[in-house]
Amino acid sequence: MANSANTNTVPKLYRSVIEDVINDVRDIFLDDGVDEQVLMELKTLWENKLMQSRAVDGFHSEEQQLLLQVQQQHQPQQQQHHHHHHHQQAQPQQTVPQQAQTQQVLIPASQQAAAPQVIVPDSKLIQHMNASNMSAAATAATLALPAGVTPVQQILTNSGQLLQVVRAANGAQYIFQPQQSVVLQQQVIPQMQPGGVQAPVIQQVLAPLPGGISPQTGVIIQPQQILFTGNKTQVIPTTVATPTPAQAQITATGQQQPQAQPAQQQAPLVLQVDGTGDTSSEEDEDEEEDYDDDEEEDKEKDGAEDGQVEEIHRSKNKWKFHLKDGIMNLNGRDYIFSKAIGDAEW
Amino acid sequence: MAYQLYRNTTLGNSLQESLDELIQSQQITPQLALQVLLQFDKAINSALAQRVRNRVNFRGSLNTYRFCDNVWTFVLNDVEFREVTELIKVDKVKIVACDGKSKYSSNYCESKATSNLVFCWCLFV
Repeated sequence: MANSANTNTVPKLYRSVIEDVINDVRDIFLDDGVDEQVLMELKTLWENKLMQSRAVDGFHSEEQQLLLQVQQQHQPQQQQHHHHHHHQQAQPQQTVPQQAQTQQVLIPASQQAAAPQVIVPDSKLIQHMNASNMSAAATAATLALPAGVTPVQQILTNSGQLLQVVRAANGAQYIFQPQQSVVLQQQVIPQMQPGGVQAPVIQQVLAPLPGGISPQTGVIIQPQQILFTGNKTQVIPTTVATPTPAQAQITATGQQQPQAQPAQQQAPLVLQVDGTGDTSSEEDEDEEEDYDDDEEEDKEKDGAEDGQVEEIHRSKNKWKFHLKDGIMNLNGRDYIFSKAIGDAEW
Repeated sequence: MAYQLYRNTTLGNSLQESLDELIQSQQITPQLALQVLLQFDKAINSALAQRVRNRVNFRGSLNTYRFCDNVWTFVLNDVEFREVTELIKVDKVKIVACDGKSKYSSNYCESKATSNLVFCWCLFV
């Protein structure tokens, strides 16, 4: 398989760098009195931009990683026992294709084929829902989502209710529950095993949500706060639901008001979406750094390479390059090397 | 202090953009963003040094070269990059490389460091 070596190592390396950096700066953030949530937002923004740039194949954000891990847990079973225990595996094999099909929804843009009837306001984030996986209610709910929100995936909770994970243009992710109960037929998504952990957390979140909301609306919760912030099971969303039918715009007014709420996932939920996506400015920062090296602005579309020099050798007009530890961007894609040896004639 | 060379890569740029957004929305200070970038420099330098183990060959024609402040900049044309698994061709590539032996910058465009070649010619493309 061509590309296999590179496409395996580059995403992994990037992911490990991201993890290292985020963990290392956590202390700095806390020292500065900045909330953990901002750190998570940084991570999400970072991952999303990497995905959008498409310089890396198969780069997933974190929840997709989890889901893919679960999927891979099933696949080795399928492969190892392929010729043996065929009967025993028959049922998991039946569900695996279903799961695979369901999981197709979760695969990032680079592998995803276009599907109909999905809003894609952010044209670079092509996360589509397979029409076959969505009931009419879910479809309607998806269509009703405000601009800037793209459905990413569906999660079936243990009770069979459908949650959709959507991604707003600003990169924050939310879980959206369409109000009509949607039951997909026998598609028990495997991540409900870890979802056994997820579901109660979601319940906790749903509990304090405002009641008395029109049943036409749904709630969006930021899943990274639920699932990925270590010990925190408490959601501290930055926006508050305004109880309007599906196309609500939200005013950010701080925490949600805890209100009486029937237990479990039957609670009516409030549509909650951040406002228009953030824009990033192009202004330069005033940073005090003494540059060890000169960062050249790169206008090449073809290729750029950053690396370190082991040796540069010239003989008349023949140049030899010995470079190490470099990152290349060639034809839009990222490559990494520990050693690069080159020849050129001037 | 680790090279800041890798800030202008996909990974580095996306981090800088994300930090910019957070500064814009006043969720972090520029000073904090700087700290994050410094941490990124360390992390990427050490990751590249330790976790990457592959080799690439390339061949092309050299259009321009520059050596200033211990930084080499080359522009090559019609280059083929060869890895074990694949071959990549580009019409033009810019290579920015820091002198791996010396981690200190000099204020002059002359260097006594690694080679006898002391260039300060800026052949602009």
